[in-house]
This record gives sequence, structure tokens and C-alpha cells, in this order.
Amino acid sequence: MAAKYDVVVVGAGNAGLSAAVKCAVEGYKVLLIDQHNLPGGCASSFRRGRFEFDPSVHEICDFGPEDNKGHVRLLMERNGVNVNWITVPDCYRCISTYSDGTPMDVTMPCGRENFIAAMEKYVPGSRPSMEKFFDLLLEIRAAKVYMNDGTPNDAKYMQKHFPNTLRACGYNTLKVLQALKIPQKAIDILGVYWPYLGVPLDTINFFHFGNMIDMYVIRQAVIPHHTSHEISMTFLNRFYELGGEAWFNCRAEEFLFDGDKVCGVRTSLGDVECEQCLANINPDIIDAKMIPKDRVPERDKKLSAARNKKFSTKFCMIYMALNKPIEEIGINDYCIFFAETADSRKEYEYMKSIDNDYNILISYNTLIPDFSPAGTSVISFTKLFSESEDWAKLTPQEYYKMKDKMIGKCIADVKKNLGIDLTPYIEEVEVATPMTFARYLGTPDGTPYGFELSDWDGIIARMMDIQADFTIKGLRHIGAGSFMADGYSSTWINGDLCAQLVCADLREGGNK
Amino acid sequence: MALNFKVGLIGLLDMLKFANLAKDREKVIASAPANEITADYPVNKFAKAMHPDYQPFVIEDIIDHAAAGAKSFILKRSDGKPASYFRAGQYISLKLPIGDSFVTRPYSISSSPTWALDGLVAVTVKANPGGFAADWMLDNFKVGDEVKGSEGLGSFFYEKYRDARHVIALAGGSGITPFLSMAYAIRDGIEDFDLTILFGSRTEDAILFRKELDEICAETDKVKVVHVLSDEKKKGFENGFITADLIKKYAGNDPYSVFICGPEAMYRFVGKEVDKLGLEKKNVRQEFLGATKTVWLEPGYPQDKKDKVFKLTVRQGPNETVCDCSANEPILVAIERAGIKAPSRCRSGECGWCRSRVTSGDVFIPGATDGRRWADKQCGEIHPCASFALSDITIVVPGEYY
Repeated sequence: MAAKYDVVVVGAGNAGLSAAVKCAVEGYKVLLIDQHNLPGGCASSFRRGRFEFDPSVHEICDFGPEDNKGHVRLLMERNGVNVNWITVPDCYRCISTYSDGTPMDVTMPCGRENFIAAMEKYVPGSRPSMEKFFDLLLEIRAAKVYMNDGTPNDAKYMQKHFPNTLRACGYNTLKVLQALKIPQKAIDILGVYWPYLGVPLDTINFFHFGNMIDMYVIRQAVIPHHTSHEISMTFLNRFYELGGEAWFNCRAEEFLFDGDKVCGVRTSLGDVECEQCLANINPDIIDAKMIPKDRVPERDKKLSAARNKKFSTKFCMIYMALNKPIEEIGINDYCIFFAETADSRKEYEYMKSIDNDYNILISYNTLIPDFSPAGTSVISFTKLFSESEDWAKLTPQEYYKMKDKMIGKCIADVKKNLGIDLTPYIEEVEVATPMTFARYLGTPDGTPYGFELSDWDGIIARMMDIQADFTIKGLRHIGAGSFMADGYSSTWINGDLCAQLVCADLREGGNK
Repeated sequence: MALNFKVGLIGLLDMLKFANLAKDREKVIASAPANEITADYPVNKFAKAMHPDYQPFVIEDIIDHAAAGAKSFILKRSDGKPASYFRAGQYISLKLPIGDSFVTRPYSISSSPTWALDGLVAVTVKANPGGFAADWMLDNFKVGDEVKGSEGLGSFFYEKYRDARHVIALAGGSGITPFLSMAYAIRDGIEDFDLTILFGSRTEDAILFRKELDEICAETDKVKVVHVLSDEKKKGFENGFITADLIKKYAGNDPYSVFICGPEAMYRFVGKEVDKLGLEKKNVRQEFLGATKTVWLEPGYPQDKKDKVFKLTVRQGPNETVCDCSANEPILVAIERAGIKAPSRCRSGECGWCRSRVTSGDVFIPGATDGRRWADKQCGEIHPCASFALSDITIVVPGEYY
């Protein structure tokens, strides 16, 4: 006889962990399974020698200070998940080239006033338009609170109270920033974070971009003290505390049906029955591999065809442990972007090639002196790819050479941009390619992200359309492939929200 | 906190555009064809070939190194596919059904990575007193037998941005295997560095892979082998053990990295010698050693627990098994004896593949092989391959895919 649960959560990544905790908080009997031997998906860690590395985190947004709590903080407080956070003081340093071809090297601080003042310093005359921009963000934030409060949205109320939000959020970011008359150089500086959304400013809906700036600049970002694995283990321990059960190295093979409703999961450790299932799996993979062909909903096929396997950014991460303190090496900034150009459309096109020169340097010890043993430091590099074709073309022999090439590029980037030679200090080095992410996450093309946020398929459009995307009774897909797209914050919130929907269904007798 | 100010944007139609976002999305979806959904991604296919759940092999050939008390097993993929490509120096975890137990053993791959393209991988197994799995393989493995193995694992390989161009390899007995693979890789143009192997054997006759090493040295001047005989004084050989002075003699004047692989006794001796060289940590790398076989000699071990037998409750998915667990052996051994297919790879506390959760009971974890993550140390996650029971224990182990 198969084990029986109210809810089975497949995939213990960020969304799965937050969903499992939420369902357990609500008192349901929950089983969480994951194909890997530890929780977190990307939000994890790994060891090499005397060092522990974070595979993915740069900065976590939407946490916020005590007096301006963000959604992530609210979610964690509500569910009793207590992590030791470190606040990131600056947004970023960016060494690049402005759209007009002149060199850029800017360091942008957090907080509205500081940010605007720094912008005025770099781009004299930008202040009035930047003030307008941040005013607009305030209104968007209020609109978001109204839209997310769980009650139906009243169009008239929104038109009265959030008119600028409604005006701006039908458009792409570039259009809105230009309409606000922000000088191009300031747009270049403001746009540095664009790759976190996966698509350039001329595509990304202004709501997402504005929201992101609000979360990073105003609410400030945080990072965990002891890698993302600390966060995931905090979620997991809370889940255990609430009576939850978790099976690791356990693969979900297919979803089991009772009539037209999912009633269980066939796993590598046996069948389990459930009332509701939350799957932290890309919906294309669910439909292609985990349910019988004749049960794949017509709309899923159309949605998948419309998205046409256009998955968001692919990563190559280069992790280095250095046998000198970071201040002796001479790196002072937590986060430095090296971009070929600040023109996001051009950079996006460059990123199709495996040879692109985009890179993000994270230096953990600048914020957390004891991130690594005394006298050492840990840094990571993130290289981004809008396509994975070049990677897929590699032979196994070329693959290891490519890993080396990526390390070499990072060393060259630091040499070129900061004048520092890292070579004598490298004690450990490891490279995670799109293949590595595919191996551990099983996501399409190894993207840690979901579907690209194309103009017709942005987060707002998906959220307005939310019920339409859940096409199979008893099964909700969560995580980066779901409506709130990718990133730590989005996936935690998405998992929590979907868990709330599931709990509501269970309370109503569960025949959804 | 409604703010009502003018941004002076595009006009009244904008609100309609916003309101229509969902409707417009539905239009795009409705106009798309209802094709069958596929999920075969090239990147994932590549990842699966590199990192399969396991590799199915048959034993293609067995080479008896009688004087060294060892055999080499040439394994060939039984599904006709290439073996997972690896980096010279990596090990493979063999999965062995012995009696009612499922045990794993890590062995460095001794063949060239180029062999993998033809589906071949070679490992060398040395008889080892009281060695349960090694002796079983030496006695039982025949050509044509099936055996499952992992892909190449571990970080014991040359990395040009980390290691000095000149690598001095300190090898003892069957510890030559990863260096043989590296030597092949250099000869075959896969790796590019200078490798000097100081190879400790008891006698000239007992030297493993002498012919192969000689051939490689004849083909490339990047590889040099110095034989160091401990039990024999002969012309043309170094005599005694591998000392700091010997390393210096062959190191030359350029910077070098030291790589170490050999039996436990060699590590103990050579480790002290290498310390004398005053190298930076980054220039000394050693292959995993395995968990201690004498845990009661570890600092801080509570002596009253030695030789005790505890009750071990193992949960894996929906199943629960209760078995005995000797205080003197890693908890993993008890789990394997109980016939549970639990994950393990390095068996040295380092790789974390066996990571499991202790829900009740106490364990002893020797510091030297505690490769756990920070958060795991805080919350009762252990690596059973290098953890020892101090009481009755309940443990939740992950599944395994082979």
C-alpha cells in the first residue's frame, strides 16, 4: 500500500521548500522529495578542500529592513524561517562602456537619496527624472500591495489610485525610462541589473524592472552568512519541526491519476498517494515526460509552442578560493559587473555566444570576513548566455578545455578591469557550466531560470492569467518555470502563494 | 498611501494596454499550434552522458600483477556507449553486490581518458589484508562479469590555473593509478604539464605498470618516473622512502606542486616529509585516504565506546530497517551490511554523496575527514562513510539510483 499524504511537493528547490513549509504550517501532512541528495536546487553549497562555495547567490532582494519589510522577510517571519542575514551596502560597481561608447566605471549605493545623488554625480542633470522614477516606484509598490492582498482587484480603484502604474506597466522598460526623460547615460547605469531579468530593457515589462530596482535599491539586498545552503537547511529544518517528511535522491518518475485528477506520484523509492501535488518542475518537462501523452492538455501544448523552448539565461559559474585575504588582493567591492556595453540589447545579442565577455564578480569576504578560513578569500564569477547552442556543440574533450578557458577569461577580466593578477593565489577553482546546472537541477538546457519573460509573457500577464495556466487538476507547477519566474525571492514567494492555493483547495474538500 | 502624480506618459490608451495584458497573452497562446511537447534538450543530454545514474560495464579483460598482489580490471560499457569522459586522476566508484550487501569502492582510473571514447575504463585492485571488497573482487571477478560504476569523480586532477606546471607525484604501490592516467593524458595530448613521478615500491619485481610507464617516458619528455624501492638496494633505483630531500633532488628550480596518492602508511610518512618543504597549501594535493580504521585512536574519542555494538535504525523513503552497528566501523558499513542500497562514493568523508540525517543518537566524526558543509554541521547531517556510532542511532538515508 502506498504511503498517503495531503500534499506531495516534488523538487526541494526554493519554491519547493517554501511551499512545503507553508503547507506544513497549515497543518497538512506533507512529503517533500528531491532528485538530488540535498535541498535547495541552486540555493546550496559545495566543498572543495578547506573551502565552502555558494553555487549561485549574488544578492537576495525583497527582504528589506525592519521598518520596510519586503515580501521575502514577511514570508520567512510568517512561516518561522530564521536565517542570519548580512545586508549588502552597495548595489553594484559596473565597469563597462556607455551606449555612446565612452568608458563607464560607476559604484551605485543603496537607498533612494544616495542612489540619486551618485547618479547626479555621474550624469549631471539626471536628478529630476530620477526623482520621478523613484516616485513612480513608490506607486507601483502600493499597487503591488493592493494587487497581492488576495481580494479581487477593482479596476476603478486602481485607475483612481494607481494611474501611473497602469500607464507605465503596459510597456517595456526602455520606453518608460525614455518617457520619464531619463538621460541615456543614466539609463545605462540604472539598467545594470537587467540580466537578472534575463531580457533587455526594450523587452522587459516596466513593472518587473521597477519592482526589481525597488527591491534592490530601496529595500537593499541581503546575503546569508554561510552560503545558500544555510537558507535551504533553515527551511528544511522548519519543515521537519512541523512534522514534514523529506526523501532525497528520490526521483519523481510520473504523476498518477484518478480520473482527470492527479492522485499521486511514482517515485524511485515507491508510489505515494496525495490529495494535491506541487511540482517544482518546468511545465514542459511535466507534460513531455511525467504524464501520459493523452492527458497533456491542449492549452499546455499551445502555451509550450508559443514559448517555443525559449528559456531564460544560462549560467557558467567560476568559483575560486584564494590563499590571501581579499583586502590584500585589492578587491573592495562585493559585486562588480564587467560588461562589454551598457546597451542591454547589444549585450543580450553578445550573450548568445560562448565567447562573450560579460562577467559578474562576487567577493564574499568583502562583506563576510569569515566566509572562508583566516587568511583566505572566496570569489565567484558569473558568465551569462542567452543561448546554449555553443555549449551543446562541445565534445566531451572540448568541454574540459572550455572550463579552463572560462577560468582564463575570469583571470583576464580581473587583470584588465582591476589591474590585479589572481594567478598566484588560486588554491581551489571549480567551474559550473550549463551542463552542471542541467545535471543537478534537471532544468531545460540547465537554466536556473524559467521561460524567458518575453513581451507577451511577462509576470503581470501570467499573474492576471494565473488560473488558466494550471491545467491539470490536483497539480500545480511552481518555481522558476511558474508565473513569478526566476530568482530566489520570486521562487520562494511563488512556492508560498501556490501552497496557499493548494491549502484553500484542501480546505474546500480538495476536488480541484 | 495613494500617490497621484503625472508622469506625463503615453496617454489614456495605456491603461487599456495594461488591462489587456492577460487577454493579449491568451491570444498569442490560442494562435500557437497544439504540437506535442518534447523535452529533450542537448545540454541535458550531454550532462546525462557525463553524469549517468551509473555506467553498466562488463569485465573485458583482467591483467594479473602477481608480484604486486594486484589485478587490473578492464571494464567496457555493456550498452555500447562511450564511457563517461573524465579528467585524468579521477576515481570511479564501483557498485558491488556482495552476498546480501550492496557495497561501493572508489578506485582511481588508471587508463587514458581517450579509452573512454571507446567505452573502456581500467582500474587496479590490490589485495589488502582483511580487505573485504578488494579480496572479493580479486577472487570472484571473471571476464564477462557485469559490474556497475559511477562516472569519474573527485578533484584529484591537474588544473593549470591552480597547480604549478611541474607536478611531483608521490605514489605508493597501487597509488600509481591516477598518475598513470595523467601520464597517458599527457602523452595523448589531453593534458599539458610536466609530471615527475616518485614511485615507491617494495622491490623491483613488485613495481606496477613498469612497462607502461617506461613506454610513456620514451614517448614524451614531459613525464619522468623515479622508482624508489623500500625493501631492496639496486643500482639505478632510489632506495628507502620518499623524503623531502628526494623530492628536492628531482624538483629542480622552478615552482612545483606535490600530488600524493598511496596507502595510509605512506601518507603518514610522506606527509611529514612534504611539510618540511614549506610549500603553500595550494601546492600540495592528496587523493582521499578513506575513513580511519582505528577510530578509537582519534583525539577526543570516548574510549568506553570502543568495541560496543549499537542498534541502528535506517529509514530510506517509506522503508525502515533495524540492524546492528559496530562502534569501530563507519556507520555506512552497517547500512551496507543490512542490505540497504545507500549512496556513497569517496568513502572518505569528503564528497558528501552519502549525506544523511541523524534524527536520534550520537556520532563521532574524526576532524580530519569531516568534509561536511557548515550548515550540515549545525543540524545533524552526517556523512555516514566517515562517522561512527556512539549510541543507538536513527538515520534517514537518501535513495540510490543504480
